[in-house]
Amino acid sequence: MIGNDIVDLLQADAESNWRRKGYLQKVFSSEEQQLIHSASNPCQMVWLLWSMKEAVYKIHSRKKNWQAFAPGKLYCSEVKISGQCASGVVTCQRIRYFTQSSLCPDFIHTIAGESFPIEAASIRISSYDPSDLSYRNTAPATVSHHGRYLALAYL
Amino acid sequence: MDRQLLLSKLKTIVASYSHDKDALEYLSETTDFTKDLKINSANLVDVVLDVEEEFDIEIDNLSMERMLNVSAAIEIIESKLKEK
Repeated sequence: MIGNDIVDLLQADAESNWRRKGYLQKVFSSEEQQLIHSASNPCQMVWLLWSMKEAVYKIHSRKKNWQAFAPGKLYCSEVKISGQCASGVVTCQRIRYFTQSSLCPDFIHTIAGESFPIEAASIRISSYDPSDLSYRNTAPATVSHHGRYLALAYL
Repeated sequence: MDRQLLLSKLKTIVASYSHDKDALEYLSETTDFTKDLKINSANLVDVVLDVEEEFDIEIDNLSMERMLNVSAAIEIIESKLKEK
């Protein structure tokens, strides 16, 4: 099983003020907060960790039929950034998942899987048109949209 | 606090983050924050923080996990207000 998540950085910046008092504490562990505060680009780190959690939540919630708003129960670790690529591990209820992310100036996209290397998936990122639902007929394994972007991944 | 008053205060809070104005108009106890109001998950954190400020309560992580719809939110707010 795979899961993905896209964050439109412009949209995130307009909609969310993660610098507001108490925000980071509700979402991130102290280790994750440390990563954010020590990052050269804290904003990018916030949304990278967020997209890792969201992508993994998509797998874990389906696998375990688990529905909760519990970003604090998904722990990011082993986050490595190299240029425009990032990888990491997210642990939820003692299960480890693996993530790979693309860090672009306008968006961050993460794909998550149950094993490493992650199952080969082809990823298609395009502009999102809410009135066009034709992508549903293409049977993507996982779908994410946010702001200007639609991200589909196929196995 | 009167349940109607509580509901109207909650409605004011979620209005800032809802992407579905119709669902907001017809807000009821069964309204789901993400499925109906289309509030994105990053803004669910704001809803929780706004609720904490408005009612001067603290929402612990276990309560936050369940705060996915209006009825759960009301139940959590009422129980936290009683604890005060």
